[in-house]
Amino acid sequence: MTETEPAPDRRTVLSSGAFGAVMLVASVLVIVDAVRLPDTSGAVGPAAVPLPVGVLLGVVGGGLLVQARLQLARAADGEPWQRGAGPRVLGMVAALVAFALLLPVLGYVLTSTALFVAAAMLLGAPSFWRTVAYGWALAAIVFLVFDRVIGLSLPTGPWGF
Amino acid sequence: MDSFGLLMDGFAAAVTPEHLLWALIGVTIGTAVGVLPGVGPALTVALLLPITFRLDPANALIMFAGIYYGGMYGGSTTAILLNTPGESASMITTLEGNKMARAGRAAAALATAAIGSFVAATIGTVALTFLAPVVADFATSFGPPEYVALMAVAFVTVSALLGRSLLKGVASLLVGVTIGLIGIDTQTGQPRLTFGIDSLLDGVDVVIVVIALFALSEAFGHLLTGTGHTTVAPLRERAVLSRSDLRRSWPAWLRGTALGFPIGSLPAGGAEVPTFLSYATEKKLSKHPEEFGHGAIEGVAGPEAANNAAAAGVLVPLLTIGLPTSATAAVILTAFQSYGLQPGPQLFSESGPLVWTLIASLYIGNVMLLLLNLPLAKVWARLLTIPSYGLYAGVLVFATLGTFAAGGTAVDLLVLAALGLLGLLMRLGGIPVAPAVVGLILGPIAEEQLRRALTLSEGDPSILFSGGITIVLWVVVALALIGSLALPALRRRAATRDRG
Amino acid sequence: MGRIRRWLPAAVAVLATVTVVLTAPEDGHAGSTARDVLGERQLRLMAPASPGGGWDQTTREMQESLRELVGRTEVYNVSGAGGTIGLSQFVRYDGDPSQLMATGLIMVGAVVANESRYSLEDTTPLVRLTTDYQVIVVPADSELTDLAGVSAAMSADLPAVSISGGSAGGAEHILAGLMAKAAGADPAQVSYVAHSGGGEMLSTLLSGRSTIAISGVSEIAPQIEAGTVRALAVSSPSRLDSLPDVPTMREAGMDVELQNWRGVVAPRGITAEQEQALEDLLVDMTETDAWRSALAERGWGEATLAGEEFERFVRDEQERVSQVLAEIGLG
Repeated sequence: MTETEPAPDRRTVLSSGAFGAVMLVASVLVIVDAVRLPDTSGAVGPAAVPLPVGVLLGVVGGGLLVQARLQLARAADGEPWQRGAGPRVLGMVAALVAFALLLPVLGYVLTSTALFVAAAMLLGAPSFWRTVAYGWALAAIVFLVFDRVIGLSLPTGPWGF
Repeated sequence: MDSFGLLMDGFAAAVTPEHLLWALIGVTIGTAVGVLPGVGPALTVALLLPITFRLDPANALIMFAGIYYGGMYGGSTTAILLNTPGESASMITTLEGNKMARAGRAAAALATAAIGSFVAATIGTVALTFLAPVVADFATSFGPPEYVALMAVAFVTVSALLGRSLLKGVASLLVGVTIGLIGIDTQTGQPRLTFGIDSLLDGVDVVIVVIALFALSEAFGHLLTGTGHTTVAPLRERAVLSRSDLRRSWPAWLRGTALGFPIGSLPAGGAEVPTFLSYATEKKLSKHPEEFGHGAIEGVAGPEAANNAAAAGVLVPLLTIGLPTSATAAVILTAFQSYGLQPGPQLFSESGPLVWTLIASLYIGNVMLLLLNLPLAKVWARLLTIPSYGLYAGVLVFATLGTFAAGGTAVDLLVLAALGLLGLLMRLGGIPVAPAVVGLILGPIAEEQLRRALTLSEGDPSILFSGGITIVLWVVVALALIGSLALPALRRRAATRDRG
Repeated sequence: MGRIRRWLPAAVAVLATVTVVLTAPEDGHAGSTARDVLGERQLRLMAPASPGGGWDQTTREMQESLRELVGRTEVYNVSGAGGTIGLSQFVRYDGDPSQLMATGLIMVGAVVANESRYSLEDTTPLVRLTTDYQVIVVPADSELTDLAGVSAAMSADLPAVSISGGSAGGAEHILAGLMAKAAGADPAQVSYVAHSGGGEMLSTLLSGRSTIAISGVSEIAPQIEAGTVRALAVSSPSRLDSLPDVPTMREAGMDVELQNWRGVVAPRGITAEQEQALEDLLVDMTETDAWRSALAERGWGEATLAGEEFERFVRDEQERVSQVLAEIGLG
């Protein structure tokens, strides 16, 4: 069943290997966490499932690493990314983290607008002010519908929205 | 009076301008919240409950039924167009539906989803009307051993979803199962993999994982390739469903319904499991197996019918025995109770006319949804002409809203970001994301039921094979295993014979 | 046309913002003492569970009943882990009298079972509002006909008596432990099968594989009426109006009593006057018609208890529950 894919490019091979490494780390975490669980009187305790899952994570993760190592030699270069691809991804992650932390302080409308603008600009939106207008309109409408009409309490800033 | 006569009375009561208006409001709200990733019918009905206390009970229940069915319709729209499922039950729809959209066939995919949903929900509602007591008996005969066997069936058929590389498919499945382990163990109350973070005690919501792996990783992908100013997919065709589309869709609709309704009526069945089974079935039976993974219409038609039939199935135990088997059903039960109705064996005798009005309004809601969604298919498809930067920035706003609504803490949003990065790594490494969601949904049910079964039998595994239903299900497992080994061989033989 | 398109988003943004500002919730009726305490602020109620559950229903009924007393109040859900996730967020509102949270027996149990960093000690208990009692049921065709039979079976071979109920460490689990203790067996050996909802629990019971099940009365009353399950005993101090033929556990010979109570707490650090004003407000609320009809519709028992007595009650419950859970092997 394990057909080798037609000439995987270098980046795919490296990413798949990295995913294998993530699985190995997860494997250790799952096993350590499961061993720590106390044994209970029940027929099957809380560690009965995590232990085999942890072992399988290790085996399959190791498999992905080995596969990546074998394929790396004959991997071709893939299509290039756009300039500043890495910083853009980091920027998006930073925007999401900032959103999570600022939401309770600055309220829904402002933080959501900021998230919209950050995402759109990073993705290549041409005009800043138009993006702000779209983002603010969307966030304000969402707030209106969910908070004021339906009654889902969204966080508010000092100015009430 | 027989069921049919009572149903006709129900129709007579439901077809008043006032009731029809509330049904229309319900299906419209339902479609809207179904479209939004993360905001589902359960949350919406719960939020609307206090506002509707002043409504006449019939109006409120009709509106809730509309929201419920509407949510199931709406969930498929973003799955097809944006590769972002609106509900976890439409996750499977992305597999073929989004491929169809990318090939310029968005309108056809949306149409087969809408008509399939209509067919399935209508058949499901008919079954609810006339077979409810029988199905309820079947549903309550499912104890932990039966669920273990059903999960075995689901896991065996899941191989159809794993994609080209078995190793990568299994890797994804395992990661999903691992995410499913996070949180308090339901049987012993022990926290697992929470690392002392309170917000993780309740586990990671499926909605958050689906949004992160599908929508966020898609947005990240556009960041890397710099394709943010392009539109997602070109629109090519005029006709909504061609004759050949229809010929390929209708058997899938019926099979999806046949899987969805009974499994949906099971207390721990849910709407997701039948979509997995339906997709696997269609892939096995299709005359065009090579199209799967590239936009096979059966792969949209079957699962969409399955999740809508399951939505009708959920109402069977709710109405006949008062068992809420999904979050939405639990909220609808609350709604019933706040109007002084107690669903259960006595519901039909005690508040008969109202119940028949509700069932009649389900039929009406279905017709409305079809009338609303078929023309909308083309309008929705126009969404694809918005450049990606606008589309994905908007998806992000709704994704964070849905995440916040599901959990309510900053930790949930941080988990969303972390899982988005994991999704990006998977996308770059050619690792399919759908199996992870499958593992996340099936893993906890399988573990919980297995451990319940073994607790009941004091550790004796023979309980897993006790009773008629379990044996039938294990035979299905055996057949599926033999089938997946023997069918390709048979196909190869047939192919060589055709050539020779 | 192009011009309109260019200005449309900005116009929509302005319009929506104006509407948001105009629809800002107005303050309620002035005059009451609670109003003085709250000042300009709106009362916020946390339901530490997902929509549809007991705490969610409690807070939403409170919202409705409080309307005529203090105007609009806000309800929000922080779900998970028996309310301990909500509790850990709630303790941050130290000294803020406009924040209230629903609580109850389940949270007391979950605090112990999850080894939560915070407990009800970190809040100011205000009032107890409602109770719901537990009922012990068997499938209609079960050989067990009374609680004495269950008790005998439990003392003979405890693991062979499988008990289905709600979440691990919840009210049903606590009652199962109390029953084992009363039957003279080791509560740690109880073979308890946890379920996330009444629906799943019922299906395990009806599939005939579980010996007995424990459930909240209101959840299972329709099944008892329809005869699909048989009620053996209720956990209340005296017989319930809704199930007049079912004996209490004491009457049936088992010295156990348990109520799944629900109440309201405020953050720690509020002043004595603030505490008094909020207690008065909530006691007034329990006397409104809206609250009375909510109790009747939901089948909740009235259990209003305020002030010092409620605080003592909470302390006693914490002690009793930690002891039982420790014996079951949780916490």
